[in-house]
Amino acid sequence: MEALKFLCFLLYNDITDMKDVIKICIKERNPMKKTLAMLLAVIMILSLGSVVAFADKSVTLNVVTSYGGDDGNRKNFENAVKAYEESTGNKVNDGSATSNEEWKAKVLTDFETGSEPDVLFYFTNADAEPFISAGKVVSIDEIRAEYPDYASNMKSSMMAVAADGKQYSVPSSGYWENMFVNKAVLDDCDVAVPGPDYTWDQFLADCETIKEAGYTPIACSLVEVPHYWFEFTVMNNGTVENHLDVPTAGDDAAAAKWAAGLNDIKALYEAGYFPANTLTASDAETVELFNAGEAAFLIDGSWKVGYFTENAEDLADFAIAYVPGKGDRSASEAIGGISMGYFITKKAWDDPDKREAAVEFVSQLTSDETLSTFVTTEVTALASGAKPAGLNPLQQSAADANANITAIAGAVQDLLTAEARGDLFANVQNVVTGKMSAEDAVASAIALN
Amino acid sequence: MSSMIYKKKSPLILFLVPAFLFLMVYLYYPFFQNIINTFMKIGGLGRAAEGLNAPWYENYQRMLADPYMRTALKNTLLLTFCTIVFQVGIALILALLVDTIRVGAQFFRTVYFFPIVISATALGLMFNLIFLYKGGMVNQVLLSLGKLPTEVKPSGKVLVEWLDWKDQAHFLFTMFMPVMWQYVGFYFVILITGLNNISQDLYEAAALDGADGWKRTRYVTLPMLRNVLCTCLVLAITGALKVFDLPWVMFGAGMPENQGWLTGTYMYDQTFNKMNVDYGSTIAVLIVVLGVVLSNVANRVFRPSEDI
Repeated sequence: MEALKFLCFLLYNDITDMKDVIKICIKERNPMKKTLAMLLAVIMILSLGSVVAFADKSVTLNVVTSYGGDDGNRKNFENAVKAYEESTGNKVNDGSATSNEEWKAKVLTDFETGSEPDVLFYFTNADAEPFISAGKVVSIDEIRAEYPDYASNMKSSMMAVAADGKQYSVPSSGYWENMFVNKAVLDDCDVAVPGPDYTWDQFLADCETIKEAGYTPIACSLVEVPHYWFEFTVMNNGTVENHLDVPTAGDDAAAAKWAAGLNDIKALYEAGYFPANTLTASDAETVELFNAGEAAFLIDGSWKVGYFTENAEDLADFAIAYVPGKGDRSASEAIGGISMGYFITKKAWDDPDKREAAVEFVSQLTSDETLSTFVTTEVTALASGAKPAGLNPLQQSAADANANITAIAGAVQDLLTAEARGDLFANVQNVVTGKMSAEDAVASAIALN
Repeated sequence: MSSMIYKKKSPLILFLVPAFLFLMVYLYYPFFQNIINTFMKIGGLGRAAEGLNAPWYENYQRMLADPYMRTALKNTLLLTFCTIVFQVGIALILALLVDTIRVGAQFFRTVYFFPIVISATALGLMFNLIFLYKGGMVNQVLLSLGKLPTEVKPSGKVLVEWLDWKDQAHFLFTMFMPVMWQYVGFYFVILITGLNNISQDLYEAAALDGADGWKRTRYVTLPMLRNVLCTCLVLAITGALKVFDLPWVMFGAGMPENQGWLTGTYMYDQTFNKMNVDYGSTIAVLIVVLGVVLSNVANRVFRPSEDI
């Protein structure tokens, strides 16, 4: 009879029955019945736990992106995550950080040690090959076999293709790299805002004027982010068409233009155009130097527009201009493209609870509405295009500058392995201080690529 | 019956085995695997080895010729020396001073120990602000004291020549000072506990013999504190070899101009940033060897006296 009551409880989860059961357990004197009652009580508790677990269908997704730190889209990302959490009831463990070489290395290490996130927003070039070739992320085709509408709002031609010919990531907003100028500093030095026909010689003359006036001409941490100047000085010693040529030997044409580019940076360093502490300062320090009206020029990317929008005292003091051109390159030719996208990892895909949550997360963050909040002036892969609204003066300045861009090339550093890139940029400080020749620095990086 | 329990030692094995197994799995196995890794070619954490290096001792050859490794060793040994002199030295002076005061001793104990409980990352960020180039606390103080050169440009703009505390002339001070500061409190607490254990009878006897304050310190306190001091010195030396977090937060990868490497930061950079896992393993072996040798030397030099 008592056992029957237990079964009633298990079937109907009736709390009244449960109380009776407990009373029976206490009062029962027959050892056999007592054992049976105890056994059923354990089953009851376990079943209760499973009922509770079953009722809570909320999923926690581990997400890693580069929308961390001072990224201009940090707020937009937070809003998008909040909207996702509210609409699905799921939780997001946000492991975002600022993108730099250390962050890239950490992401790869996480994959290699089995600690990868469920969804990753990461570079889609050679940087992603280690975990793509290891089968740690799921291809778009495989996802579409179950979710046919996945990434259907994207132009397929603009989605990155991996070495195995498959597409794995859903692109977010693209990027451009160009020259930010502090107009207040330029005004104070009687220097005009550079136009699309700005030349290297004009730039050197302007730098000298700015330096003489007591300002720092170029805000840049050569120890932390030398790659912005590397990209443009390399393009200045080649063309936009051959910008993505990677040296294969120390004496080929690509190696020669890389070495020439490094020597141009060295010349700027020796002329005293970088901050006095460029070899010990962080990127944040030199950007703040520019923001505080102590430096005139800064090469950075579209992601920095958001930083100035939030931190500049007067946005009208800043504008997007053009990196001076040299040789066959015109100042109207810039660096840009779509280099990052959302990956769903195999770990999340194989987890029945997380599969749908991860697909829904990527779908929501790459929807037309959400991406339109991320995109202001950047390239987008959205089939129907982004519809940014209410551009501020700096964003409008970027849109105006981009309207004059005549050609664009991706960043050549994205074609290097992490080891080669790390070696090359770590040696920039050795090149500018004369401890190593530019040719040796290039040869050292090629050997590791 | 109860005496049998004490005579039969075999059950103790049951209590020792778990800890032994834990150490085998999480210390000795990785350690020996790490030695094997130094001979292999490994291009990333978690990746399988791509075979033996050619020659198999290539990493050791490279380490001997690596100028950054020499820099790291030199800086680490210098840090060890500074640790002995400044960490333990200042802790000893502070302990002797606090031991002589009657009011506020507990207050000073808490104040000096406090840096230990703050994470190294937070301390690193704090000292980054203190030594910041433009507008950092130290530079602002120097500017207000008129110690920084200034130049008024024709435009009327005042140009301040800020002091770069992370440049080649100053980085050792900027790197070592926070490390010293953080651990002084640790040794201070150990030493003051040792001072409290010295019997007051000895001081009374010394006073009867006419010993003044300095003589009491020289002939009673320091000899009685010898064993505690020896322990502190051994801990300080082995601790200095492992310093990583604070310098990494403040200086990152070898700043300035690859002159700021320590063995710990260089090993981390090679392993996690440069993906040279095999070379990072080789540096790790060197750190272990250095630790064993130096702690043995320290144990012999500062051998605790059995007379105390």
